Amino acid sequence: MIASLALIVIILAFFFFRGGGGDREMIKQPAKEPAVSGAKAGSQVPKETRNIRLYFLSEEDGLLHAEERAIPADPSPVREAEAVIAELIKGPEKGYLSTIPAETRLRQIFITQDGTAYVDFSKEFAEKHPSGTSAEAATVYSIVNSLALNIPSIKKIVFLIEGGEKETLGGHINLSKPFIPLKSMIAE
Amino acid sequence: MKNRGKTGLRFLGLTVFLAVIPLVSRAQPVLRVSVADLPDFSRVTIASSAPLAFTLEKTAEGLQFKLESKTSYRFQGGAVRSRLVKSFGWAKTKIGYILLIETATGDFRYEHQVQRNPNQVLINLYPSGEEAAVSTPAPGKKPAVKEERKEEKPPDEPPKPILKPTAHASPSMKTIVIDPGHGGLEVGAKGKFGTMEKDVTLTISLKLKALIEQNLAFRVILTRDTDLDVSLDNRAALANNNKADLFISVHANGSFAKSARGSETFFLSLNATDEETRRLAYLENNPARIEKHIDEENPDDIKLILWDMAQSAYIKQSSLLAELIQNEFNTELGTENRGLKQAPFKVLTGVACPAVLVEVAFISNPDEEEKLKSEDFQNRVADAVFRGLAAFLKTNS
Repeated sequence: MIASLALIVIILAFFFFRGGGGDREMIKQPAKEPAVSGAKAGSQVPKETRNIRLYFLSEEDGLLHAEERAIPADPSPVREAEAVIAELIKGPEKGYLSTIPAETRLRQIFITQDGTAYVDFSKEFAEKHPSGTSAEAATVYSIVNSLALNIPSIKKIVFLIEGGEKETLGGHINLSKPFIPLKSMIAE
Repeated sequence: MKNRGKTGLRFLGLTVFLAVIPLVSRAQPVLRVSVADLPDFSRVTIASSAPLAFTLEKTAEGLQFKLESKTSYRFQGGAVRSRLVKSFGWAKTKIGYILLIETATGDFRYEHQVQRNPNQVLINLYPSGEEAAVSTPAPGKKPAVKEERKEEKPPDEPPKPILKPTAHASPSMKTIVIDPGHGGLEVGAKGKFGTMEKDVTLTISLKLKALIEQNLAFRVILTRDTDLDVSLDNRAALANNNKADLFISVHANGSFAKSARGSETFFLSLNATDEETRRLAYLENNPARIEKHIDEENPDDIKLILWDMAQSAYIKQSSLLAELIQNEFNTELGTENRGLKQAPFKVLTGVACPAVLVEVAFISNPDEEEKLKSEDFQNRVADAVFRGLAAFLKTNS
């Protein structure tokens, strides 16, 4: 029943996203070009950028540490969210650990009116994940914190894999509920 | 969902049955005798591969367990360390055998209980009068609990895993569900040397089950007792359908960081968004409401929503249970203390009783992977969890 409810929610959300939302204030999916190249273009062309803090895992203390990056400033929170995820998949530059399997692709992001971001990853997100409570928590909260603490319109995050709901990444952390940021996972 | 749960149980029963066959077909049956001291009494456990026909008789030296049997038994008893029981004697008679349980004093009373599958007779010996008062440790004092447990330890080899849920337990008997994490195709975290989380969790869980059954009058049910896929929902359902009083999920941790190490105990974090928080807070303060809702209104939707939040009514007790287990990890295991933690675990969400998840050590850390493979470490983990839950039961009784 819960699964079917969730499915309805997803289908509805998908419908809004597809249909452009009618009179609802749905934020539309951006053009197909990958956000990564967008970020590169931003660094070459003198285009307005803004600094964000990405959260990666530290080998030292097992906590999330912030790494600053510049992404193209964009009025669309969806495009900014895509840029954040693209940077997270690219991985850290300062010796921290990546929390997303490198093979993972972002399929799409949509953000509902109440500030819930649905982040839909390819199957590698779960299949290539090493499993384990700490690893799953690191993955979930590096993404949740990086999105919600950088993009003000995002309040909660729901994870989807290949467009559908998945119970867990590897048998531990519950993915069937929305996540809110967890600052206690971040190093001081 | 319910039907799936039942099928799961039946399947569990079948695999248990198959696993027991080799024991039964063994040529000469063995009679395993052990003694453990509990706070108020000493318990003698007589375990056998076949049902026992016996009588008990109190004598000046202690208690005689007279076994009527045409087949010949092999006696297996370890060193005896107990306040009340001094030794075991074993003799053949015309009609069978006599096991003499020699006691330190003739001033005791006893009661016994017969269990099937596994076949065992539990005899509780109570010292009478002053002695009982003297030997009862001060309540709530941790060192007392520790000392006690040392004596309780099974004398020599680690206890043999007892496979079948004791289905014939009396209705008043409390139930502990142990959940060995993962299983089947779902292997969990993996170590550098190929150790899999699903195997470690099962071994430790079987040891823990045996410890509980030897020392406490509890029914113990495993969510799986072989290398089997069991869905997370069915694990919670098994606990709820059996009206579990405690739920302990056993796991080994995995991290992206190779150096991550240590032991930690979790209880559920609600990961609640605002509107949920209000409802949950209400339920936490009115746990009785959950059952009332289900009884009175009964539509499936309500049941499922409440099922999904069942654990939220037990967060406080779960937190205490987790704390007491983590305390034992800190003193018992010699691993780094990662502390008492909360996380939104799928498996704990629907469990309607105090429930915790232990992350014993990191299988992703080569040093700890070695530990997790060693029987000594596994025994100590089972022992620490047992002590933690025994301490919890004490505060709750």
